[in-house]
Amino acid sequence: MIFIGFIFSAFYLFKPKPITLSFLPYFGKDSLVINKNYFSEIISDSVSIQSLRFYLSDINLIKNGRIIYQVKNQHNLIDISQKLQVKLFTKSELEFDSIQFDIGVDSLSQVSGAMGGDLDPMKGMYWSWQSGYINFKLEGKSNICNTRNHVFQFHIGGYIFPYNTIQHIILPVQNKTNINIKLNIKKMLSQIDLKNVNQIMSPSEKSVEISKQYANFFSIE
Amino acid sequence: MKFKITLISLILFVSAITIKKGFQLKYPDYFPKPTYDLKKNILTKETIALGRTLFYDPILSKNNTISCASCHSSFNAFAHTDHSLSHGIDDLIGTRNAPALMNLAWQKLFMWDGAINHLDMQALAPINHPKEMGESINHIIDKLNKTAPYPTLFKKAFRDTIITGEKILKALSQFQLCLISAESKYDQVKKNKKQFSDQENRGYILFKKNCNFCHTEPLFSNFTFANNGLAIDTTLNDFGRWQVTKKSEDSLMFKIPSLRNLSYTYPYMHDGRFNTINQVINHYIKGIKQSANLAPELKKGILLSSNEKTDLIAFLITLNDSAFVFNRNFAYPK
Ligand code: HEC
Ligand code: HEC
Repeated sequence: MIFIGFIFSAFYLFKPKPITLSFLPYFGKDSLVINKNYFSEIISDSVSIQSLRFYLSDINLIKNGRIIYQVKNQHNLIDISQKLQVKLFTKSELEFDSIQFDIGVDSLSQVSGAMGGDLDPMKGMYWSWQSGYINFKLEGKSNICNTRNHVFQFHIGGYIFPYNTIQHIILPVQNKTNINIKLNIKKMLSQIDLKNVNQIMSPSEKSVEISKQYANFFSIE
Repeated sequence: MKFKITLISLILFVSAITIKKGFQLKYPDYFPKPTYDLKKNILTKETIALGRTLFYDPILSKNNTISCASCHSSFNAFAHTDHSLSHGIDDLIGTRNAPALMNLAWQKLFMWDGAINHLDMQALAPINHPKEMGESINHIIDKLNKTAPYPTLFKKAFRDTIITGEKILKALSQFQLCLISAESKYDQVKKNKKQFSDQENRGYILFKKNCNFCHTEPLFSNFTFANNGLAIDTTLNDFGRWQVTKKSEDSLMFKIPSLRNLSYTYPYMHDGRFNTINQVINHYIKGIKQSANLAPELKKGILLSSNEKTDLIAFLITLNDSAFVFNRNFAYPK
């Protein structure tokens, strides 16, 4: 009994600290606050963000181009107003030089029926009339949008070629226990012609284009 | 003592097996293997019962007036008879005919255009549709949490009272997976319990020659998409499969429906344009509209004399399954 207790506590003592992966949404130089008005020079108008949510999946840690740690079959719903962090529990202290992850839900999970946790359709990230998860959702307001209440809604999803919107991202890392990943919404929006493109609610060419754009604006702090 | 131990372990072993196995779907050996992955949603009596209760409960709609069964009636093989287009809350009329629900465990894509990729996810479509049930899954969860006997039913089915979207969907699937139609005269013949009449036999031969390619035995569909020469209804402009894939070769393609239980499921086709089997056969004989995507098998129409037509219909009638339609286990739960 004592022996078992000893092994247990030894295990506990030597277990490395989990690696914390944090997403930090920004608007230009400011960290992004929900419903706050920001000014965008590109559109010469103000912009506010009401919600930002996306699926983070298939996280890999890489050393010299080889995967040394992998989180399989786990989809995390990152949500600016609820959850911005994910912890990785590695068995030992790891040396790695980059991190890989996907933004979106893989095509196998897309066709696997009802699932729980972050993939439960009650999370509001599932299209009901045409099966498929919304991989990335950004909603906000800008006077430049000629829509009801000036809202823009980007519901980016689609898992079937040619409208596959899952995006694979690789970033170099320095700090090995706290990985902070910035997502610059201002830069992302500056690539979109908000006046004309402000309602995307189903898989299309435009969705694919936007998914490539936001994929470019994840960076290591 | 030894005997006791063996006995106890035997009981444990047997009960472990039966618990693990859960409830088994029964279907004839000439059916293929189900496409639904039953390992991911182990059937149990309690969950099936919960699914049945949900299926018949208008609590799933916004104003608590419409249940799944409002459009899918057991007495019509779960189709919506007499209505060419389905009716939902506030008498709003949809754009398509409600299909029969049967042998769903063998389908991969659902809806006339295949927009739904899994049976579990299907229920979300009518629940959210503003003209069908106009409700949201989250609000349903709130309502179910406050409504007896649901917390108890969920506890029995899933061993805890927390109601989630996943559990609602899986329970609805479990009930619908049980809707197996395999007791028609055709099935009795396959099982060597009955014989076709001469006329039915002649009809069967005509069927195999002209229809089986798409309406493939024993489920009477190969569940792919085809254009069977229906002229587009310009009041609906429904382009079928194209609406999902946006590929021109899918324009005006619709899912091939099963031909089981036709006598119960009128009207026919995605928009319910035909009221009788006779009209359907006449369409195949002389109503085919030529178009780029028309199925090659139908380019020349189907040649049938009027006697042959009667024979073919006699065979189609053998696909009616009254044991399925009047199965008490599928009807409104009392
Ligand atoms: C207002 C009428 C209406 C209600 C209510 C309704 N349905 Fe349907 N159902 C339809 C129509 C119409 C279709 C075909 C839709 C299409 O092809 O786009 C359909 C299709 C289906 C299908 C696909 C069948 C196939 O062969 O592809 C299933 C399964 C189904 N419904 C189950 C349900 C369940 C479960 C509920 C309750 C949660 C429900 N329906 C509520 C009208 C309704
Ligand atoms: C090339 C494939 C093809 C062939 C061959 C074919 N069908 Fe069909 N059938 C379809 C498709 C597709 C539909 C659904 C069309 C729609 O609703 O737009 C359909 C619908 C039907 C329906 C309506 C069923 C319902 O529930 O609404 C009946 C009945 C039917 N076919 C009978 C037949 C018979 C009898 C034959 C042989 C004489 C035949 N079909 C040959 C593809 C085919």
